[in-house]
Amino acid sequence: MSETHTSLTPVTLRQTDEGRFRRALHSLIHGRVLLYLALAVIALIYILPFVIQIATSFKSDADAAANPVSLIPEVWTTAAYRRLFLNSDFPVWFKNSVIVTLVVTAGRVFFDSMAGYALSRLRFPGRNLIFTLLVAVMSVPMVVLLIPKFLIIKTLGIYDSYLGMILPLLIDASGVFIMKNFFESIPRSVEEQAMIDRAGTFRIFWSIVLPMARPALVTITILSFQGSWNELSHFIVSTQSPALTTLTKGVASLASGQLSAGSQYPIKLAAAAVMTIPVAVLFFAFQKRIMNTSEGSVKE
Amino acid sequence: MDVTGTQSHGATRIKHGNERLSGWLFCMPMLVILGVFLVIPITMALWVSFSDWSGRGSPFSSHVNFAGFSNYAAVLTKPGLAQSDFGTAIRNNAWYTLLVVPLQTLLSLLLAVMLNRRILKARGFFRTAFYFPSVTSSVAITVLWMFLFGASGSINAMLSWVGINGPNWFNDPRGLIQILLGSIGISKGPSVLTQHGLLGLSWWEWLAGPSVAMFAIMLMVIFTTSGTFMLMFIAALQSIGEGTEEAAIMDGTNAWQRLWHITVPQLKPTIFTVVTLGIIGTWQVFDQIYTGTKGGPSKTTLTPAYLSYSAAFDNQEWGQGAAISFVLFVIIIVMTWIQRQLMKDRKMSRRKTAYYAAMKAETLASAQSASGLGTGQGSARSTSTGDAEHV
Amino acid sequence: MMRGRTAMATAITAVAAMVLTACGGGGFSSEDSASAGSLTSDSSKELNVLIASSGDPETTAVKAAVAAWAKKNNRKATVSVASDINQQLSQGFASGSPADVFYLAPEQLAGYAANGSLLAYGDQISNKDDYYQSLLQSLSYDGKLYAIPKDVSTLQLVINTDMWSAAGLSASDYPKTWSDLESVTAKLTSAGHVGLSFSPEYARVGAFMAQAGGGLVNKDGNKATANSAASVKGLTEVKKLLTSGSAAYASDLGAGWGGEALGTGKAAMTIEGNWISGSFSADYPDLKYKVIDLPEGPAGKGTMQFTNGWGIAADSADQQGAVSLVNYLASNDVVMGFAKAFGIMPGNKTLATQWKDDYPALSPFMDGLKYAIGVPTAKGASTVVSDFNSQLAQLKTTEPKTILDKTQTNLEAIIK
Repeated sequence: MSETHTSLTPVTLRQTDEGRFRRALHSLIHGRVLLYLALAVIALIYILPFVIQIATSFKSDADAAANPVSLIPEVWTTAAYRRLFLNSDFPVWFKNSVIVTLVVTAGRVFFDSMAGYALSRLRFPGRNLIFTLLVAVMSVPMVVLLIPKFLIIKTLGIYDSYLGMILPLLIDASGVFIMKNFFESIPRSVEEQAMIDRAGTFRIFWSIVLPMARPALVTITILSFQGSWNELSHFIVSTQSPALTTLTKGVASLASGQLSAGSQYPIKLAAAAVMTIPVAVLFFAFQKRIMNTSEGSVKE
Repeated sequence: MDVTGTQSHGATRIKHGNERLSGWLFCMPMLVILGVFLVIPITMALWVSFSDWSGRGSPFSSHVNFAGFSNYAAVLTKPGLAQSDFGTAIRNNAWYTLLVVPLQTLLSLLLAVMLNRRILKARGFFRTAFYFPSVTSSVAITVLWMFLFGASGSINAMLSWVGINGPNWFNDPRGLIQILLGSIGISKGPSVLTQHGLLGLSWWEWLAGPSVAMFAIMLMVIFTTSGTFMLMFIAALQSIGEGTEEAAIMDGTNAWQRLWHITVPQLKPTIFTVVTLGIIGTWQVFDQIYTGTKGGPSKTTLTPAYLSYSAAFDNQEWGQGAAISFVLFVIIIVMTWIQRQLMKDRKMSRRKTAYYAAMKAETLASAQSASGLGTGQGSARSTSTGDAEHV
Repeated sequence: MMRGRTAMATAITAVAAMVLTACGGGGFSSEDSASAGSLTSDSSKELNVLIASSGDPETTAVKAAVAAWAKKNNRKATVSVASDINQQLSQGFASGSPADVFYLAPEQLAGYAANGSLLAYGDQISNKDDYYQSLLQSLSYDGKLYAIPKDVSTLQLVINTDMWSAAGLSASDYPKTWSDLESVTAKLTSAGHVGLSFSPEYARVGAFMAQAGGGLVNKDGNKATANSAASVKGLTEVKKLLTSGSAAYASDLGAGWGGEALGTGKAAMTIEGNWISGSFSADYPDLKYKVIDLPEGPAGKGTMQFTNGWGIAADSADQQGAVSLVNYLASNDVVMGFAKAFGIMPGNKTLATQWKDDYPALSPFMDGLKYAIGVPTAKGASTVVSDFNSQLAQLKTTEPKTILDKTQTNLEAIIK
């Protein structure tokens, strides 16, 4: 660990001690090799599980049990995938996840940015109070809400419906926060011009402010997509019918052996792999944005 | 935090009346949804936690009676199964937090420091590799982990290469500390520890340590969260710059000293955020338990969040389930408060005070979507790195 | 600012009013469970059947039977397979929209019956006296019969005959006593597999407690006997087998249940019930096995018996249809069809002989009914039993008496 600190950027050196400099240089080169070695080992640890997962999903049950590490199946078989797609509820789960994720993402982007805009730009009585409430609300841990959410969803008569799955997720307080921060960071002059032109608030928001907010919108789109695609607990308490099961809920039930009493790892791993694909695609498509957050939601 | 902002309001006056209305209209969807699906349900659940509602019909019907503190008493003070289950869950989660938070913070800091070298080649590749587990769902990762750590899974197969007979991870209820003590021949605790206890568990049981099964879950969670926190640290490191450090290198201080004496102090605000998020997240672990172990083996992976759920949804003890969730809420608040006290600077400059206030709000923002931990922490990244950079 | 606060308060009040209105309205159904004379009968609704399936054969058979009933009565009915039936039932009852007809385990029954979730339709079943009395008792609460038995199961010893003969054993070596069992278990243990494997749960180790004359509760289910000398003796025998190294829990072998341990060759013997016939032919068609009686303990023969009832929800919109469906599912032809498809044993006396004739290889299971004990059914029993099960995982390193003492305390708290 100690050797991993290396830096070879040209620095103007006051070389008062030739020997010390040489030692430092030597340790830097030495350290660099170690650094790469360490990083490569850690990267292997982080990647290998996923490679094993994909390899195992193409194995037979017996092969998976007998050779849990091998990366090449003895016999390639797509039995797990065929079973998933042709002979289980998996396509239904997938469809539900897609529907819910798309609607929730669209809703969150829209409502979060509306509220964020109002809280950062519009002056109206009660704004401070709303903001305080928002911060208070954000401090409530989600798991505390399992029972409460079930109670309200049932009370409103939207239990076991798309409405019950989607409505409670439509606002994400942290998304409002991100949008508010962003709007505070962009100059006000453009809107002011529009205001003088007597354009309506919504029109200003929709056709002037939102287009400027693209970086932040991309950020909350990614977050909302990932968040709702991976959401589990809310769907547990808001639905019961198999027709409304999402991927997370469905695969969790697979894990506890819904399709068979046996271990059947290939099919479970195949299901887990397929459910990872959409977020993985999103991740790789917006990798730059995700990794360099400084461009995104950040204030100047 | 100053929410009114300092923007000019010259033009604002023109549309003042209009803004008043649109302000409310713009916030209305948020207010309605947060009100209906957060504020009101919490009040309803608070009532349930003080009632004898058994899960059928309305909790507000005349059949349901006020039960005082009996649900809270059942889990906190009255000896019995409900109390010892709650004690077990708290024990498990306390060990979980105690180990996961420092480990994930250290690991992500280490990864960030390693990657924060301008000369490093393939930096993008490494960052992607380390961050990828964070975007996958906790359900998918748990399924994968059950395979890797199965009795004859990949991990044990690899361990066998070096002659180690690996444990049956997810079915091994032995506590790590008890295994350690057992290996030096201590298999029974002193009567001081076995005869007295708290929440229906003897001190000896409290000190058993996390079970092997829980340990496997900890590894999984560290695996999935380290990437997110790594990005937060990287952003913070970039804002620090490398100047001071480079000077220090030439002064002959070694890398370890530089890390501890130069880098870490400057990262303190980010460490604070990461630890706070860690504490909030680790006390909420649910998805992994629901998907994987369901609390087993021997209840050693039972957590308060899962217990609250199963008390209500499996055993019709809705009052107790709601009571547990409110106790958990209090625990999270107390834990983050204690952490704040411990990590607080003794003398805080005004700038720092303001910064902490901002950090607090932003932490809360992130915690909201970090709930359930696992992978939800994507949002922690963008808000927090944003502010870390800003400061 | 003042005005803002007022507006906010107004908004919250409005929302609250809206919610409370919904409460009073259609959100909740009435509390009363229908009495026998006044069943709901909205036949426009689809009937939902929720089952916990042992595998594809069971799912297919139940679906076919339900479809046959639906066709005959010109109704719509669907079968769903639960991944966790207790949770799904509880949530269904609490949400006010439960499945209409479902598998109902006796240990869960009291909890559901106590809050009025179940329809006590037992009186409307004509041939109810044909069922074994012990089964009816375990499906009753507060003197009312809430479900008729779907089937009955017992545990016996299942052996891998190839491994049996490979170890040089013959039919004369079938264990008659605990010490016989210990010796064959040891002989059957080799580098590749253990002699005996079963799940760490009361529903398996309870057989040993029964053989010693004990059990978690007495025969009438109204007294906790978990830490009686007999129960301790039974659990001590289990511990002896486990610590000898020739017996192991299925979970410790990486198997989900004893049948999987046997089927995958990780164990030569297991203690399981008649459901094995269905799942073995589906999952391990090449496995050669034989079912023999469990050995006698100090108190003679003993085993566990289980049943599942057909439950009907009080909140069902068509209780009449549900009762009709249950009557059909409990009819002789359907039950024998289920027996053929996935190896259930009928819970009524009429069919017992026919079943034994049809399945001679499984007859030890039917014989077991004579000396089997049931599981505790008091309200909250399932939590106590699952706590007991969780302690069983540590039996190897814990005194049986310690485990049973704790369970005794927990049982006493729920049996009044």
